[in-house]
This record gives sequence, structure tokens and C-alpha cells, in this order.
Amino acid sequence: MTSVDLEGKAVVPAKPETIADEIVVSRHSGDESYLNLVWRRFRRSVAGMIGLVLVAMLLIMAVFADFFAPLDPKLTLLPYGPPTTLSFVDADGTFSFRPVYYPIVETGEFDPITFQPLTGPDLQNPKYLSFFVRGWSYKLFWVIDSDIHLFGTADGGPLNLLGTDKFGRDILSRGIIGSRITLTIALIVVALTTIIGTLVGIICGYLGGRVDAWGQRFVDLMLAFPELPLYLALATLIPVTAPSHLYIAFVIGVLIVLRWAQLSREVRGKTLALARIEYVRAAIATGAGDFRIVARHILPNVMSHVIVSVTLSIPAIVLLESFLGFLGFAVKPPLISWGLMLQDTNTFSVLGSYPWILSPVVFVLITVFAFNALGDGLRDAIDPY
Amino acid sequence: MTDSYTAPVSDDRADLGTHGRELILDARNIGVDFKVEGGIVKAVRDVSFQLHRGETIALVGESGSGKSVTARTVMRLLTKRARISPRTRITMSGKNIMALGDRQMRKLRGNDVAMIFQEPMSSLNPVYTVGQQICEILHLHNRMSPAAATARARELLEEVQIPEPDARLRQYPHQLSGGQRQRVMIAMALANRPDILIADEPTTALDVTVQAQILNLIKDLKAKYGMAVILITHDLTIVRQFSDYVYVMQNGEVKEHNRTEDLFAGPVHAYTRHLLASEPRGAAKPLPEGGETVLEGRDVRVVYTLKRGGLFRPNFMDLVAVDSLSLGLKRHETLGLVGESGSGKTTFGQALIRLIANNGGEIFFDGQSIHDKDRKQMRPLRSRIQIVFQDPYASLNPRMSIRQIIEEGLIVNGIGATSAERVEWVRQALRDAGMPDTILSRFPHEFSGGQRQRIAIARAIALEPEFILLDEPTSALDLSVQAQIIELLRKLQDEKGLSYLFISHDLKVVRALCHRVMVMQYGKIVEQGPVNDVLSHPKTDYTARLVRAAFDIAA
Repeated sequence: MTSVDLEGKAVVPAKPETIADEIVVSRHSGDESYLNLVWRRFRRSVAGMIGLVLVAMLLIMAVFADFFAPLDPKLTLLPYGPPTTLSFVDADGTFSFRPVYYPIVETGEFDPITFQPLTGPDLQNPKYLSFFVRGWSYKLFWVIDSDIHLFGTADGGPLNLLGTDKFGRDILSRGIIGSRITLTIALIVVALTTIIGTLVGIICGYLGGRVDAWGQRFVDLMLAFPELPLYLALATLIPVTAPSHLYIAFVIGVLIVLRWAQLSREVRGKTLALARIEYVRAAIATGAGDFRIVARHILPNVMSHVIVSVTLSIPAIVLLESFLGFLGFAVKPPLISWGLMLQDTNTFSVLGSYPWILSPVVFVLITVFAFNALGDGLRDAIDPY
Repeated sequence: MTDSYTAPVSDDRADLGTHGRELILDARNIGVDFKVEGGIVKAVRDVSFQLHRGETIALVGESGSGKSVTARTVMRLLTKRARISPRTRITMSGKNIMALGDRQMRKLRGNDVAMIFQEPMSSLNPVYTVGQQICEILHLHNRMSPAAATARARELLEEVQIPEPDARLRQYPHQLSGGQRQRVMIAMALANRPDILIADEPTTALDVTVQAQILNLIKDLKAKYGMAVILITHDLTIVRQFSDYVYVMQNGEVKEHNRTEDLFAGPVHAYTRHLLASEPRGAAKPLPEGGETVLEGRDVRVVYTLKRGGLFRPNFMDLVAVDSLSLGLKRHETLGLVGESGSGKTTFGQALIRLIANNGGEIFFDGQSIHDKDRKQMRPLRSRIQIVFQDPYASLNPRMSIRQIIEEGLIVNGIGATSAERVEWVRQALRDAGMPDTILSRFPHEFSGGQRQRIAIARAIALEPEFILLDEPTSALDLSVQAQIIELLRKLQDEKGLSYLFISHDLKVVRALCHRVMVMQYGKIVEQGPVNDVLSHPKTDYTARLVRAAFDIAA
């Protein structure tokens, strides 16, 4: 706490200055750890708390995606089926305690102009929504066999809350399962860019001199690349027939190469300032070596900046993935990602007739908002001193 | 000493009605609360004061006493988190300030009341010229034509005695010195001839020798315009020489108020007495004859190469920060190194202990040459040479606990075999520095400036050094804390036989602590000798000015 600003001056009386020889240790709190302080400040930010809850929900959803997805994402039903509507009132107007819906089926008639088969609700065959139902089988954590799902119909009938795509696959289930790939890409890219960026930044900022000059010119070069054209050019390097896992690894690699430079520049700036601060000089004066100074004095004080940067760059990668996926350059089937799902929306006439295929956008929106809000809250809270 | 004196302070002035001046500001029961983490801090409680035309009142107190908040309440310049108590009544020339709307308040500020702040750099906008900024004020309040405003701005700069006012009008704030910037701030404050000038620590950020000039300027202008001045300061020397009436504040309350002469002659409240007794006093114990030399520097030179001009026509210029200086420090001795900011004293000090590389000369520590050692070779010597920095907020890593901070030097130097043994060293160091040894797991932000400085001293003495470089260790501290730290340093020197190189600009502290003193200016030593000789018979003008600034501001 500095006493330069008005607030600071006003707060000081809570910690009375010593008078004569009597030492008064600050009245406020006992031993409060750093994390406690951050948490206390973080709780004050409403948006930050909403972000935290949403991020937690997203991560849980991604980890237990099979449990939350009501239908097998590869199961094909009626193409471009509209979203089913749940209702507490069934077709005869009587109240039903359990939500009821009518599955969409082909009516057997054809559109007189386009000769497309017409679809409509099957009023003879009401289905009731149940929780913890048995459905398609999956392996929890790749090991445990299970077929329990959060919700669905008791007899496993189709429930397409967000409609189906052009092959008749359930969009909601695919969105939930697709969060895995999208978030995995984002987390791996951000984790590796953060490690590389922080290391390069600290090395440049701490060593200074020639290392810094050349290191930063290299960073300049990386930052000067036009990201998107370069990315598309690199994407053509990989054969179309390559397996989808290899393809995704390549995508992640390219994203890392293109994105570490920004953080390294920020970290270098902070390190430059920290390397000249008095507590670092005091450590040199006690005889501490370079490694100790970096590990104990510089890194912990740079971390707050890095953590905030992490939470703010995750949504950027999610957005980039959805954009590249839309162009068809991010993830190849049979893997599922939000970007890949959005590729279906690239024909205007299809989008006009079946607007529900845009619903992966909602997943992206929520994710971006959640991480951004979390990052904003953290930024305000993370430097409590 | 405790606050045993609790009799209520009367709201009315001790000299009420005896001087016959017109009352222009009457503040009653100012109360300000701040909402903070986990509750409310009462920053100011029931502060009342009166201000008459043509006089200067001083609000005196240590940091956190609420003096600035009180002044800002008068200007209604508090942040949104502040809540002003409903009992507050502030009457200015018959108007109740608390009832005014924001628009009327804006008109009042600058026209009737003006304020100058501590830091003249951040109060001026760096992207506009001085002339533009003064003219803006004239234009806002008086709707002057540009030509008339410029002419008036020039007049104002002349009044605040800035040399070459025409040239200054076209200059940017960074081209002026700190003292000149403060003069520009005063010119801006005077632009609309206010009745009241609030000066919030106007000279704290300035060099000691400039301080006197600025305060005298305020005094002259006050007489010329018949203004009243509210002077906010922690410096009792300033109060004594520049104010007519004093309000002593502590923890948001006025503890005592009286005419200046009466207050200094007979302080009633325990806190006032404590403040008055905090002036650094005493002297260093005489040195035993013929002690051995601990630290010696011969012709030490530090040169910074500055690059001017562009990439294709580089023009390198050498700035000689330390110009071939020599120094010898004996065991148990305290040597003062004084000078204005920019005189090179800190650079010299840090070069002597090899925290800054020197470009020439020889340095010997305990007979060993250290000028030719690199950082690795210096390590075995580091535990014997320590440093305490000026700013206790920057010199302790906020992410480390007190134990980690003090223990680091022990680990690095391999002192103490086990963790338990090291903790015992840490506890002992804390006790030696006058801190309780129960604070091991706390973090620096939980402590006040004086306590932090004690922790920094504990870090230095934990290694049992022979020599400590004290780089202005008291200048960021309140007066009464300053006195305690001086006392502590003296005690430690006595007990442990330390040698100090004491860097300071404050000759009062130097007199209380040092055996010898060296006066630096522009990287050169202009005068040196035993502290009493130099301070009582300065040979150069520069030293004489420093001495006057410290002991007799008005002269």
C-alpha cells in the first residue's frame, strides 16, 4: 500500500504508527495468506464470480461430456430436424407433471413445390423427459463402462433440444462433446505459449544486453507475421489424408508458434522493471545468485500478470478455433469441435431455412464471456498489496 | 508514552477575537469515513478550524493523520468511497459549501479556493505547454481572449519569479525543474486571485534548498494578495517559520491547536510534546583513536554513457556521476555522504559495495581489493557488507513472508545448518531491530513504513555484517519514526561495532548520527571533515545552503 493516493492516506490509521518505543503490529487480520486475500477481493466482483461459476460448469461439462450429452453424437436421425419443444401441457391440453414432447417424424407427405418430405410432431406418441436414464453407452475417463445420462427419455427415443444437423445428428450432444476438443486446443495452446513466453520474457528481461536485443528482434519478427494468411498457408502443408489426431496436433503447434511472442514481450517489460527494484538489489547484496533471484523474486511477482493473461487468451483461442473451423482448417471429422460444427452454417440458404444449426455460437459466446469475466475479476484481485 | 491526555479540544481558536481579521473559512465538525475492505475507516473525526484573511494556518500530523483528507473535504475533492458526516459544516465567505451543487462548487474551486499538491510533475499535464495550461484556467473562469490570457499568464509567471517567463510559456512540464514546476502550479493557483490557497505538502518532493525558496514565495504572494493559506505539512521547522496558527492532528482528530509561538513554547497534549521531541538530536559517540580502515575507495569513477542523436548520427556523451572520489571509513565510524538529489551520492555508495560497476579506481574492503571482483567472486564478502535502502515499500518483496525475507541471506551464505537454527537467527535479528519475533509468517504489506524499515535493518544485521551502507533510510519516514530508527542505528552500532556509510540529504539526521561528513555536488566532493566543523563553519556556499535549508528554512 503506498501512501501517495488519498485512499492510502485514509486507510493508514487502521495500522497505527508506533509511538515511542512501543511496537504496535497492525490490528488488521492475523496471518492471512496471499490466496485468502486474492479470494476476498475477487468475491467483490460480480462479473468475476459469474465467470468463475461458468468456467467451472464448462470444465465439468467437458470432463463429463458423455454423461451430459443425451444422444450419441454420431447417431443419425432426420436431417435438419427442428428443435423439439418441451411442455408441461400435452396435446389434449391436460397438465403433465413430467415435461412432455412429441418426436419429430416424417409425415409421409411431400412439399408440393420442393418435393421434400414434410416433418411434424408425432402426436400419437408422446414422450416424457426423465433424469438419469440409460442411453447410449460410453466409457467414463476412457475406462469405466457406463450408459447413464443426465437426461433423456426412458426408452432412449430421440430428444433433439437444439435440433439436428445436415446428417441428422443431435446438435446439443455434439456441442457438449465438442467442448472437449475446443477447450483442449485452447488449454494446450495457452499452457505452452505461457511457458515459452514467460521463459523467453524473463531471460531477455533479466539478462538484458545482447541477449535482450536479439531476443526482442526475434519477438518483433514473430509479431510481424500476418497471422491468418500464414496459418492458412501452413495448413495446406499437411496432407488432407493425414489422420485427424495428427492434424489437430499440427494445428496446436502452429498456434503456439504464432502466439508466444506477445506474452514474452509483456513479461520482459515487467522483468526489466523488477530486476532494478530494490528488493532484488538487496538480494544481490546478500549474495544471492541469478537462479535464486529469478525463482524467488522475479517469477512470483510476474505470475499475477501471467495468470491474468492466461485467462484472457483462452477465449481468444476458442474464437480462433471456431473461426478456423468455420473455414475448415482446424479439426477434421470424425473429431467434433465447435468450429467444425459451424462449418455447416456457411451456406446462406441452409442457414435461412434451418437457423438452429447456428447454436454452437451460443457455446462459444458463453465460453468467451466466462473466461473474460473471470480474467477481469482476477486482474483486479490478484495484486492485493 | 501513551495518550493519557484526553480533555476535549475546544472548537474555537485560542486567539479568538484578538487579531480583528475577517473570518473567511469556518469549518466545524468535519467527519469523513472511507468504506474499505471489512468495514469503515474513520479518516477524520470532528475536525474544526477557522481561517482568517491574511493568515496562514498549519495542519500538522504524521501520515495517516487525516490532514490531507480534511483539506480535500474543504475543496469537496474526495473520492466516491468517502462519506462526509452530516454534521459537517463548512462556511466560506458566508456560503455553506456542503449545500452547493457540483456546478457551483466547480466555480468556487479556482476562483475562491485553490490548491497546490505535493507532486508538481503529476499535477501538470505533460502534453500541453505551460502557457496552454495557465491560459486554459484563465479562459475557463474569466472568458479572456487568447491574447489577453497569454499576457496574463506571462504576468503570473513573473510573479512567481520564474526566470525568462516568455520562454517558459512555450515549454513543456518535463523541461522544467521540480522547483519551477511547483512555481507554475502556484501561478495556476493564483490565476484567479483566490481568497484561500491550500498547500498540501508543497515542498516535500523538492530538494531541501529549493524548499525555502518556494515557501518564501508563498509567503510573499500571501502578503501581496491578502490571501489566507492552509499549509499541510509534517515538517515542524516549516510550521514554526511560516504559520500563524497550528492545528496538530493525529488519527483523524485535532489533538491540540494554538498560536504557533505558544504551541512551540508550551505544548499541552502528549502527542504534540511527542512530535516536538522527535526532532533528531544527540550526536555520535566519539571514536577511539587509530581504528583500522574497513572500507577504502581511491579515485572511484562511475560514468554513464548517454546516447543522443539518431541512429545514423549517434552522439555519445559521458555523464560523470562519480568523478574520481576517494573515501576511507574506519571501524565503528559513521561517515555521512550528503548532497542534493542528482549529486551522485547513491551511485557512489552503491559503487563502493559493487552493486554498480565502477569505471575506474580501486576499492578495498578490510584490506582486500574488491574493485576487480565480479559478482561471483564478491559472494563470499557479501555477508560482511550490507545495505538498507530508502524506500521500505520497494525493498521488501511483497510475495515473501518476513521469515523468508530475512532467512534468504542466511541460506545463500550457508549460515545455520538446519531450518530451526536459521529461524533462531531470524528471531534474534528481529529482536535486535526492535520488532517482535512473532511476525515470521506475516507479509510486508501488514506493516507500516517504520516497521518495514526495521525489517529491512533486521535483514541486514542477520548476516552480522561489519559495514552497512545506509541509503537515505529515514527520508521516507515520519518524523517520530525517523527518531526511533536513528536511535536503533546508533544502538546497533554500539552493540555490534558496525561501520556505517550514511547517505542523506537531511543534515539534521546527519548531525545526529555521523562522525564525519562529505558533501557532494555534481559527482564531486566539495567539502569534508568532522560533522560539527562542517555544519557550524561551512566553507562553501553550497554547504552553507544545505545547512540553512536543514536548520533554518526562512533564511
